[in-house]
Amino acid sequence: MMVNRHNYDVNATPTFRVLSEDQIEAIYYASLRVLYETGVRVYDSEGVDVAQSGGAIVEDTTEKSSLVKVPHYMVDKARATVPSKVVVIGPDRKHRMELYKNQIYYGGGSDTPYTIDPYTGERRRSTYNDVKNCARIAQALPNYDFHMSLGITQDTAVGTYDRWQYLAMLEGTSKPINITAVDIEGVRDQLEMAYIRVGGKEEWRKGPIFTLYIEPVSPLSHSQEVIQKLLFCCDNHIPFVYTPCPLAGATAPTTLAGLLVQALAESLFGIVLSQLRNPGAQIIIGGLMSNMDMLSTIYSYGSPEMALLSAAYTDITKWLRVPEYETAGCSDAKLFDEQAAMEGAINIATSGLIGGNMIHDVGYLDSGLTSCPELMVASDEMIDMVKRILQGIPVTPEAMALDVMEQVGPGGHFMEHDHTYERFKTEIWRPKLIDRQNWENWNMAGGKRYGERVHDRVVEILEAETEPLLDDAMYQELRRVCELADARHKDEELDVKMFV
Amino acid sequence: MSQILEQIATGIIGGDIQGVEKLVQKALDEGQEAETILQNGLIVGMAEVGKRFKAAQMFIPEVLRAAKSMHGGQELLRPLLAGDKAGRAGKIVIGTVQGDLHDIGKNLVGMLCEGAGFEVVDLGFDAPPDKFTEAIKTHQPDIVAMSALLTTTMRAMGYTLKAIEEAGLRDKVKVMVGGAPVDAEFAERIGADGYGHNAVSGAEVARNLIEAG
Repeated sequence: MMVNRHNYDVNATPTFRVLSEDQIEAIYYASLRVLYETGVRVYDSEGVDVAQSGGAIVEDTTEKSSLVKVPHYMVDKARATVPSKVVVIGPDRKHRMELYKNQIYYGGGSDTPYTIDPYTGERRRSTYNDVKNCARIAQALPNYDFHMSLGITQDTAVGTYDRWQYLAMLEGTSKPINITAVDIEGVRDQLEMAYIRVGGKEEWRKGPIFTLYIEPVSPLSHSQEVIQKLLFCCDNHIPFVYTPCPLAGATAPTTLAGLLVQALAESLFGIVLSQLRNPGAQIIIGGLMSNMDMLSTIYSYGSPEMALLSAAYTDITKWLRVPEYETAGCSDAKLFDEQAAMEGAINIATSGLIGGNMIHDVGYLDSGLTSCPELMVASDEMIDMVKRILQGIPVTPEAMALDVMEQVGPGGHFMEHDHTYERFKTEIWRPKLIDRQNWENWNMAGGKRYGERVHDRVVEILEAETEPLLDDAMYQELRRVCELADARHKDEELDVKMFV
Repeated sequence: MSQILEQIATGIIGGDIQGVEKLVQKALDEGQEAETILQNGLIVGMAEVGKRFKAAQMFIPEVLRAAKSMHGGQELLRPLLAGDKAGRAGKIVIGTVQGDLHDIGKNLVGMLCEGAGFEVVDLGFDAPPDKFTEAIKTHQPDIVAMSALLTTTMRAMGYTLKAIEEAGLRDKVKVMVGGAPVDAEFAERIGADGYGHNAVSGAEVARNLIEAG
């Protein structure tokens, strides 16, 4: 949705801003200095070669890696070709994301080892069926624009789980998906699956149905796997998310400005390398930055710093004109409880108000280790509220309603007026699961807490009969890609069952 | 307790790295026994740090600074301490397994183990099985500790254990594992002796493994 249209200096949309333009520039130029003087460590010789041939200084080469220093003018050159807009379209072509300044889209997070069982409430290892179920829930929720697995398929082969996970998601949703991959071969297999799903390579080119999640390791390290994935995406028209996950006080400076400088340097290296490989390569930079809790040592997903850093990074990416990966709808709570709702509401509101692009991790609990269908459903309603706030208050003669007030006059009422009748449904937001009944009616309706109503809705979605998204022939074809991968890698599996 | 030992304990709690070293030297010059300085100064301070951390009165950076102060003091005492372990709790070889570049958790466990009196040999990240077996031969540790952040690289813990067995070294070391996707059941299934559910518990598990012999 369009959230921010300027008209002279009047904002139609309420906006939130963390950094001034001067501050953004200070951070950006500091990042350039980090790239040029501190450098980044690259564990892939092909990546090092690409950077070097583009003008980077290569030093301190060991058996496994090199220190790569990127002069600032290389960044300027890369910025001239990096797209300011990335489009991702689901297999059902009505589900689309146009990622550019201020366009907000929400979706899940990837690869949690655990999930909260929607029926028993138990926390357990996630399975193929859980991943499929989370995708089905995402499919049913109108404010989910894209999907990520919200679970690792741990009842499939471990080394090739990524293909099964993609299949499970394709069974559940026809929205765009941000996939993960074990390695480059995993990307290749999933790309083949996507071609099957969308009807060939040409259809893919008209609208890629997935983005690939790539995560360099903070501080300032780019592994072989990460670089190989990046280069493969550039060569194959795959839009990708390049998101470091720096942790204030642990893998980045504890000061938030320092963390932003480092995160930006990490992302800018991805921009430089991608544009050297293929000018116009589609990169989305992000997006998950927070603090380490200095008692529990967890990566905090619910802290105010997480929300603030994400928002500040959005300010930076808007200035850069590069699509952004954001984080919200997540919590450190262990269950869908009051803390989860509170932390989720804060970071969903912040990410919406700042105008983040691809806002992921909706449905994450337990510092990113556990997914939760109930948090998915509750977040859908929170996002809906935020979108209402973002519509702002259009101040027009018709909306100011002077003639209506004149007609009603002092002491009258507006309930029957045409002006109300014609506008109340569009002007005033209506809740779905939030309760506004009086005490007696609420009590007569069962007196259920919000959490219980959310739980009922999860079950309702899961039990609803829906048409299969994949016909049998396509399902078998996709499954075959997974099975072939399993067969190629069967010797790498452990003798013991690892999870379930 | 003598005043200087009390000062050493206070120095540990305050993370005064140079101060603790100076005080330990001073205590030695005053004729205090190395064992007394260790037990009634350094360990008393570190125990208090542990207590305060559990009560949320001290935090990780402060604990790490205290651990480093402890370590510095201990190094001074080491040549004077009796016994083959010379005041050490034991020796640990630690590393993030092959294919995995995530080492913040491993580093944290290593530092906390050092604070708990262990000698720590760090193999870094992306450490293949033979790096672990070689390290066991070279350093003869009491414990091998492995870390992984991904389910795919968790398999390398299994490969490494197998390599340790095949090298005939399994009965020479205790093996412990940890990392976000790892759980106690997995540790048991692959035949590890211990599992730490976070960095702090990792150091505790190491101590328990030594005590259990």
